[in-house]
Amino acid sequence: MALLEMNHIRKSFGGLEVIRDISLKVDKGEVLSIIGPSGSGKSTMLRCATMLETIDAGEIWYMGEKVAWVEPDGRKVYPKGEQLKKVHSCFGLVFQNFNLFPHYSVLKNIVDPVVHNQKRSKAEATQEAMELLARMGLADKADAYPCQLSGGQCQRVAIARALALNPQVLFFDEPTSALDPELTGEVLKVIRSLADLHIAMVIVTHEMNFAREISDHVIFMDKGVIAVEGSAEEVFKAENERMRAFFGKLNH
Amino acid sequence: MMKKVLAGVLCTAMAVSALGMVSFADETEAGSAGLATDGKFVVGFDAEYPPYGYMDDNGDYTGFDLELAGAVCDLEGWELVARPIDWDSKDMELESGNIDCIWNGFTMNGREDSYTFSVPYVDNSQVIVVADDSGIESLSDLEGKVVGVQADSAALALLEEDGDQADLGATFGELQQFGDYNTAFAELQAGSLDAVAIDVGVANYQTAGREGYSILDESLNSEQYAVGFKKGNDVLCETINSDLAVLLENGTFDEIAAKYEEMGIPSDMLCLAESLGVKAETEAE
Amino acid sequence: MSFQVMMQQLGGGLLRSIEIFALTLLFSLPLGLLVSFGRMSKNRVIRSIVWIYISVMRGTPLMLQLLAVYFGPFYIGGLKLGATWRFTAIIIAFSVNYAAYFAEIYRSGIESMPPGQYEAARVLGYSKGSTFFRIIFPQVVKRILPSVTNEVITLVKDTSLAFSLAYAEMFTIAKQIAAKETSFMPFLAAALFYYVFNAIVAFGMERIEKAMNYYT
Repeated sequence: MALLEMNHIRKSFGGLEVIRDISLKVDKGEVLSIIGPSGSGKSTMLRCATMLETIDAGEIWYMGEKVAWVEPDGRKVYPKGEQLKKVHSCFGLVFQNFNLFPHYSVLKNIVDPVVHNQKRSKAEATQEAMELLARMGLADKADAYPCQLSGGQCQRVAIARALALNPQVLFFDEPTSALDPELTGEVLKVIRSLADLHIAMVIVTHEMNFAREISDHVIFMDKGVIAVEGSAEEVFKAENERMRAFFGKLNH
Repeated sequence: MMKKVLAGVLCTAMAVSALGMVSFADETEAGSAGLATDGKFVVGFDAEYPPYGYMDDNGDYTGFDLELAGAVCDLEGWELVARPIDWDSKDMELESGNIDCIWNGFTMNGREDSYTFSVPYVDNSQVIVVADDSGIESLSDLEGKVVGVQADSAALALLEEDGDQADLGATFGELQQFGDYNTAFAELQAGSLDAVAIDVGVANYQTAGREGYSILDESLNSEQYAVGFKKGNDVLCETINSDLAVLLENGTFDEIAAKYEEMGIPSDMLCLAESLGVKAETEAE
Repeated sequence: MSFQVMMQQLGGGLLRSIEIFALTLLFSLPLGLLVSFGRMSKNRVIRSIVWIYISVMRGTPLMLQLLAVYFGPFYIGGLKLGATWRFTAIIIAFSVNYAAYFAEIYRSGIESMPPGQYEAARVLGYSKGSTFFRIIFPQVVKRILPSVTNEVITLVKDTSLAFSLAYAEMFTIAKQIAAKETSFMPFLAAALFYYVFNAIVAFGMERIEKAMNYYT
């Protein structure tokens, strides 16, 4: 059973179709990277998977259950109430801009969703949060506020916040794009270490070497479609004109 | 007037919200004796109008008129409620039943159509107050001058178009309306007003409390003060009239008047005896 | 009138001014939030009604609104006004007026929040209500505090408008004493009282702002 399956997804913004009939699958413990030029629809795909955007066609399955789809008559069916809560508990999302809550301390950023939304005890949540922070190398920052941290530190807190809810699959939306080059290393190191936990991850990224090294599966998107997909080895060796052009630009 | 119209327009816009939120007093129309609330005589007055109605040295509301109202309440066994009002809103306060009467150096002449009046009790006149050094000595000297007058006052009605002194008013450089006498006297002092048209009792009080002002010998008119009731409230009016007669007879009226003789209401201004006498005569005919 | 009696009278007036001030804030701050929701509602009818309400409140003088609320029930509904209605009407008129101003302040604050905060809250499993009250609103409060302080200080001075209903707040009392004493002294004293009152309010608001400075 796949953790996540997205079938024949379409999405338009104001008449411009940014995703054209894309399907993908994420298995337990699998690391999937989505790469491609800006505007190719990578981030939109991620936002559809996390239900921040509604799809115009297709269906989304989590843990073998169809949770969102579009009826033939165009009606969009999305989960509500308890079911939505259940779906949300399947995944976590790490944003490009972290989106930490600035009025909460680092610790409360991590603990509050666990206590308030998953109704777990505060003591237990706090203990787990401290362990996660230690793992992120931020044990001494528990009482700090996001504004007192560097971008790299913020992103590591955001990762801890997502992990604290015990998701089955973790999405990363260009997690290092907002960071200074010297800070990307520390974040990539943390993500790499998560692969060892066998947590499934879907990473939208521009870090080619990183994607190549960490991924079980890679999707190269271009103009709203999957241009190339396969294992990291296969994709990065593929003879594809558009990909070569893309990599050529990157190497400049 | 403008204020009333605008307030009315706003009312419509806000009525719904206001109505939903109010707990109103007893709905029964006028209690016995024509009072809005049984046993309570609510007197509306301008608390900035000494010596007729003002705040005394102890911070209580008093004045010639309020003491008379108090004496009436003693006779009737009513409770006196002295309710200060904004003079501009006096009609709305009276019409809506928030007050039972206006008893506050209230000129009756020219207002007979809008209110039911008691017998007059003070002979008033509208006079002109000037600074001693202004060089103004007669009404004709006011030509081209800036004259101040309280908004919505008897003096204003007199000097405006259609008033009895409209011709005089037309000679003024400007007729300037003000809200309260304190400001008017400050303007007089500062020179932005050349003269103030004002009730003689108030003029007496104000010039006594300040240096360097005098009242012109020529007055603008003579008129009477009476208690103003909502048009048609004859029951209450008759009660007050007979009470005033009793107060005159048992000497209470003169006793109270004596207290205010030095505060701007000399005894020659009192006319209650005269008007009751006149009234008795007309009734006898 | 002795200086002591004057101060006593003005002090009593000040208490009544403070009463208007406190009750107005108590009602208008939550009401303003509700109104701001209406202003941002997806329902066009609600949005339009609220827009008209705000525009009337901000576009007409508070003094006229006081008269309208006070005399409205009589002139429109033919209802007799009770003795306590004067004060109730003042509080209603002030609250409804200030709610309109606060609503626009809330709206500007809420609309200035980055969408990322809503999205993060959503994927972390916060309900819509929790998202607003736990995540968005505390940050909005910090953002709008300077504008709120401005309004609150204006309110202190606006309490004097209750004189148009002859309610014995400080300014009404000052006018009455001034008339009796034929002097401007009571106004000076009243000005001093207003200033001190406002200084205390400003100090309090500054403290609240500082208390929220722990993050940016």
